Amino acid sequence: MNAKLDSAPLGVAVRISRIDWDAMSHDEGRRLREFGLMEGIDVTPLHRGSLFSRDPLALSVGRMQVIIRARQAAMIEVAPTAP
Amino acid sequence: MTAAIPTIALVGNPNAGKSSLFNALTGARQKIANYPGVTVERKAGHASFADGRPMSLIDLPGSYSLTPASPDEAVTRDVVLGQQAGERRPDALVVVVDAANLDNHLCFALELIALGLPTVVALNMLDLAERDGLTLDPAILSRELGVPVVPTVAVRKRGLADLLAAVDGAILTHQLETHDHADPPPSDAALHQRARAIARAATLSETPVRRWTQRVDAVLLHPALGFLILLALMFVMFQGVYAWSEAPIGWIEGGIAALQEAVTAALPDGFLRGLIIEGILGGVGSVIVFLPQILILFLFILLLEASGYMTRAAFLMDGIMAKVGLSGRGFIPLLSSFACAVPGIMATRAIPDAKDRLTTILIAPLMTCSARLPVYTLIIGAFIPNTNVGGSPVGLQGLVLFGLYLSGIVGALVVALVLRRTVAKGNAAGFMMEMPRYQWPRLRDVGIALWQRAWIFLRRAGTIIFVTTIALWLLLSYPKVPEGSSESQVDYSVAGRIASGLEVVVAPIGFNHDIALALIPAMAAREVAVSALATANAIEAGDDEEAMAQSLSERLQGRWSIATALAFLAWFVFAPQCISTIAITRRETNGWRWPLFMVGYLFLLAYAAAGITYWTAVAFGLG
Ligand SMILES: Nc1nc2c(ncn2[C@@H]2O[C@H](COP(=O)(O)OP(=O)(O)O)[C@@H](O)[C@H]2O)c(=O)[nH]1
Ligand SMILES: [Mg+2]
Repeated sequence: MNAKLDSAPLGVAVRISRIDWDAMSHDEGRRLREFGLMEGIDVTPLHRGSLFSRDPLALSVGRMQVIIRARQAAMIEVAPTAP
Repeated sequence: MTAAIPTIALVGNPNAGKSSLFNALTGARQKIANYPGVTVERKAGHASFADGRPMSLIDLPGSYSLTPASPDEAVTRDVVLGQQAGERRPDALVVVVDAANLDNHLCFALELIALGLPTVVALNMLDLAERDGLTLDPAILSRELGVPVVPTVAVRKRGLADLLAAVDGAILTHQLETHDHADPPPSDAALHQRARAIARAATLSETPVRRWTQRVDAVLLHPALGFLILLALMFVMFQGVYAWSEAPIGWIEGGIAALQEAVTAALPDGFLRGLIIEGILGGVGSVIVFLPQILILFLFILLLEASGYMTRAAFLMDGIMAKVGLSGRGFIPLLSSFACAVPGIMATRAIPDAKDRLTTILIAPLMTCSARLPVYTLIIGAFIPNTNVGGSPVGLQGLVLFGLYLSGIVGALVVALVLRRTVAKGNAAGFMMEMPRYQWPRLRDVGIALWQRAWIFLRRAGTIIFVTTIALWLLLSYPKVPEGSSESQVDYSVAGRIASGLEVVVAPIGFNHDIALALIPAMAAREVAVSALATANAIEAGDDEEAMAQSLSERLQGRWSIATALAFLAWFVFAPQCISTIAITRRETNGWRWPLFMVGYLFLLAYAAAGITYWTAVAFGLG
């Protein structure tokens, strides 16, 4: 299973299985980690875009909500959370 | 230790409550360099320990780590490392963390504690943590972190005394200990793991994540409904600026008129009376009447920010902003620019991408700032009939005003699109942002911020506008036109002759002598155009009873064609007439290159827009 976070259904918790750190800039990667987005962490996609586009994506990480762009979400592989 | 007053820095993640804590600790004893608002400027203040010894506090920009991603985060790092020019290294740190978000906030806290400065952790927003069903144990947290932890609720001033006592203690014990802290910096992942482990250890119980915020977000971030709500809010905001300011504007106008009468009664006719009545009260007064509108606009923006809604607005706008190469982050500075471009441009410091930021700075002056309102209201009031559009409840005057706002926005988007493909070419801007929880705005904090804004505006009126108005009055009053000459005083004066020179350049776009005269002092600030027209009008009216009785807009109606008035409006949509904006752009872009570019392209657009408007209007027979 190799679903990407940018197409994960809203409202369902998923676990980050792999992040393509090489595909993003150094700063992008660091900010993702500062938001707590790392391998092994559970996240829930919550809101996606507005009338005019599918960007951006809001998701919850622990007790925090963060916003990222779909481009970054596409570099994050997710799997179903362990039951 | 020297007898110097200790400096204590408040530091932590964005939205941890640093500024609230700072406000609570310092009260009115704050010193803010120029434009406050978003925490981007150096904010310093004074407070005292329980026994009365003074301390100085600084409120640092929020950051996620000691590796900065934006200019304001770099300031934070440099200050805590003692590398900021002109700033002593703080004697102690108060690390502010959000109790409901420990997983995340403890990462930066761990990094800061490792610096080895005397450090106290303020476990802030404990009330919100409780609201969210979280019970924490500060003692465990303190044991794990190795520094004192003090529970606080900044907005209710809870825990402040304990916090200061702990800081005092930390500075004392620090002097008694020896320090060797040569720990290598841990990796991001290791730091996060430790943070999560500590957060888990300190959490006694928790209920599942806050459903309340999610339910509100389901509506406010709804792809269609959320967008409509955002538009509605903007609409109410701009309506409110007009509807609610009418009465207070009336009071101010009444007050100024009363003052003018009092001066007329008290002083003999002559230089001083003319200066006070025409120059000071007439000129500066015509600008001060806009204080209510400016405050209402700022009130809205502050409420949107304090409630946590502004980030939602940024989320909704990101899709559109991305299409012109910007990001939702830019929405916040641009919205602030509707009040004033100066704080707007300063707020761009939170935009990490350099090209994204530069573009946002360059288009910020296109947002219709409150300084244009005086010009717009005067001209619209004089030339646009106060009727409704075809029997609908929509007023024509309001519609024209809306059109002017819209022209600025559309102009800005087009300019951004062009800039991002030419001078500010770069990668697609990113958009990564933390979404704060919803909150009721605190009256006190909003009040303080509003007062700061009012003060800045009044100071501007009292300095830049005051000086330019008086200079203009002098240049308009001298040399005195000889007895019996057919020329008017204004045309005969120094200012009038300079304006005649400029008139040659602006005549093709329909501008007359009045306008040429107003444009030069309005370089200092747009609203001076109004006071310049008012002053010139008052001088020209002189002692002519009949002319004196006419209002400024009545006089303009007699002298300008509608085409000229419309061209004048179009000019002000674009013209970069504000010294403060040019100065702040120079400071924020480190040089003259970009401010000059900005001034150049905006004047070109202004000239073109005024010209096209004028020629079109003349073609329709409005010349
Ligand atoms: N309920 C609650 N709200 C707080 C507390 N401290 C700060 N806030 C609010 O949290 C928001 C962010 O606070 P602010 O001081 O601007 O955070 P900063 O970014 O760290 O300076 C504001 O709306 C504050 O009113 C607190 O202890 N309790
Ligand atoms: Mg702040």
